[in-house]
Amino acid sequence: MSDISTIDEGERRGVSPPVGPSVTPPPVAEFRNVTKWYGPVIGVNGVSFELAPGITGLLGPNGAGKTTLIKLLTGQLHPSLGDVLVRGQPAWTAAAKRHIGYCPEVDALYEEMSGRQFVMTMARLHGFDRATARDRTEAALADVGMSDRADRILRGCSKRMRQRIKLAQSLVHNPDLLIVDEPLNGIDPVGRRELMEFFRRFRDRGKVVVVSSHILEEMDTLADQVIFMGRGRVLAMGTLAEIRQMLAEHPQRVRIKSSQARDLAGHLIAWNFVRGIELPAANELTLQVQRPDEFFRQFAALVVERQIDVTSLEATDVSTEAIFEYVMSSN
Amino acid sequence: MDPYSSWTGARRSPWWGTWAIVRTGLNLILRRWIFWVLIGLGLLNFLFNFAFIYLKATIDVQNKTLGDFLNNYQVTGNGRAYADFMFAQASITALLLAFAGSMLIGGDYRQGGVVYYLSRRIERRHYVAGKLLLIASVVTIITTLPTLILFCEFGFLTSSFDYFLDHPRILAGILGYGAVLAVVQSLLLFAIAAWVPRTVPLVMTWLGMFVLVQALAEALRSINDNRTWLLLSIWGDMQRLGRWCFGTLDAAKTPTAEQCAAALTALCAACLVLILARVRAVEVVK
Repeated sequence: MSDISTIDEGERRGVSPPVGPSVTPPPVAEFRNVTKWYGPVIGVNGVSFELAPGITGLLGPNGAGKTTLIKLLTGQLHPSLGDVLVRGQPAWTAAAKRHIGYCPEVDALYEEMSGRQFVMTMARLHGFDRATARDRTEAALADVGMSDRADRILRGCSKRMRQRIKLAQSLVHNPDLLIVDEPLNGIDPVGRRELMEFFRRFRDRGKVVVVSSHILEEMDTLADQVIFMGRGRVLAMGTLAEIRQMLAEHPQRVRIKSSQARDLAGHLIAWNFVRGIELPAANELTLQVQRPDEFFRQFAALVVERQIDVTSLEATDVSTEAIFEYVMSSN
Repeated sequence: MDPYSSWTGARRSPWWGTWAIVRTGLNLILRRWIFWVLIGLGLLNFLFNFAFIYLKATIDVQNKTLGDFLNNYQVTGNGRAYADFMFAQASITALLLAFAGSMLIGGDYRQGGVVYYLSRRIERRHYVAGKLLLIASVVTIITTLPTLILFCEFGFLTSSFDYFLDHPRILAGILGYGAVLAVVQSLLLFAIAAWVPRTVPLVMTWLGMFVLVQALAEALRSINDNRTWLLLSIWGDMQRLGRWCFGTLDAAKTPTAEQCAAALTALCAACLVLILARVRAVEVVK
């Protein structure tokens, strides 16, 4: 996949009013107290947040409201209450959609078309003339590493190639906000790594990427922040560390490897924010810690003061999966 | 220069997106051999009529008596002949649309492909307009366009251009019948394919709307010879309205052109409601 800059001066010049240096530009995407009903069923309920540049993981069990949130964000749904704004415009308007790139989970492509034709068609739907659509199609295909294989008929493309074509069609108009629904499903490890690399590069251009995924372990390394959803509400939002901090009722699990494990346990048992200690092996102890920041600060001081030999120190439940389980069990 | 980063042009109106939908749909039809068979059938009918008009013009020049003899049968060059030709072409188009409907419209709902459109820089109205225009284009290309060519051919092969001046009703008839076929079939196919997206049920429903309903209308009419029942026949209504456009409809018989127009308008309104309900129903999370 090639690495290219995507600053599109023309688009901004085309839609944005003159903005002085002191005026803050509208956020890329913003939910303002958004509620969506489907008859008597609530899809999302009182959701408010802004999306900052970076990669945001959207997580939650089935029925949590992820799909509704994505549909609201991509302008496919109107909120029953509240506002969904993209660059200050309602998300369902053409003015907002020019900033949105959506790579859906559904694989319903036109099977008779080649990948190149499909991306070109999607470019034309964005209002580009033929020459511009062709140029941008080539650039988008190059961006996802499909330039040399895009003439293949979609019916004969592998899952990985189809995923890239879908990604290319979402990038073809150079959006500020890329929303990707379950991009890693059914993709082999090499393909996943490439996709994740691509998302990082896209983020590095100052863009917003929203990734909805069930593959939680990938989110540990991919997402800059996560949104946990459940029962139509945003249960938690922030970096994994921030969310972990908020879960005060779930003591953080810390594993320490040390040749002086028993001595260390003797010191730590006296600390009031250490809620439990286990010694699973002779040179290893596992702690349950509340107020982890304070613990790590005092632990560092203890190790230095007592000259304790510590070979490893790791928090074992700060992964997305662990935090996800905590958040879900808390709700 | 990297076009991906340096493009500075203005974008066209979202209504241009409807043309992209039309182009894509026509492109897809031309990629399947089954549709080429039906297009070929329509083309065969057209070429037969084209050749017949040429032959008749030749006979008119070489043997005036035989030409006048043929004119007695009014087999070409008049409103009734063009209406018959359009009716035959419309039958082929209906068959083609029965099979193409699943691909052009049904796929968007069967597999959720509609999100590719609705997440673009177009809104629902542009999407609906694009799809309707696509079906209307298919109908026009196979039905109205060949008829216009035949009309022009006949006019050009006469000794003067008076044919065009003397028969404005024929031109109005071609355009009117073409418009009726395009509007009714596009709305009806969109409505059916959006709600019955799979190929086989769609073909059965689509053809049932024309064949079975026509048979039902005939059966009801035969009970007490009440011709008003014939209004149920969509195909018949379109045909009668088309003949009225050509000025060849027997005004004394019911259903009248006004009744047919009212029935088709009601049908189109119902289809529009179904289409809008379906496009909005994309919102429902399954």
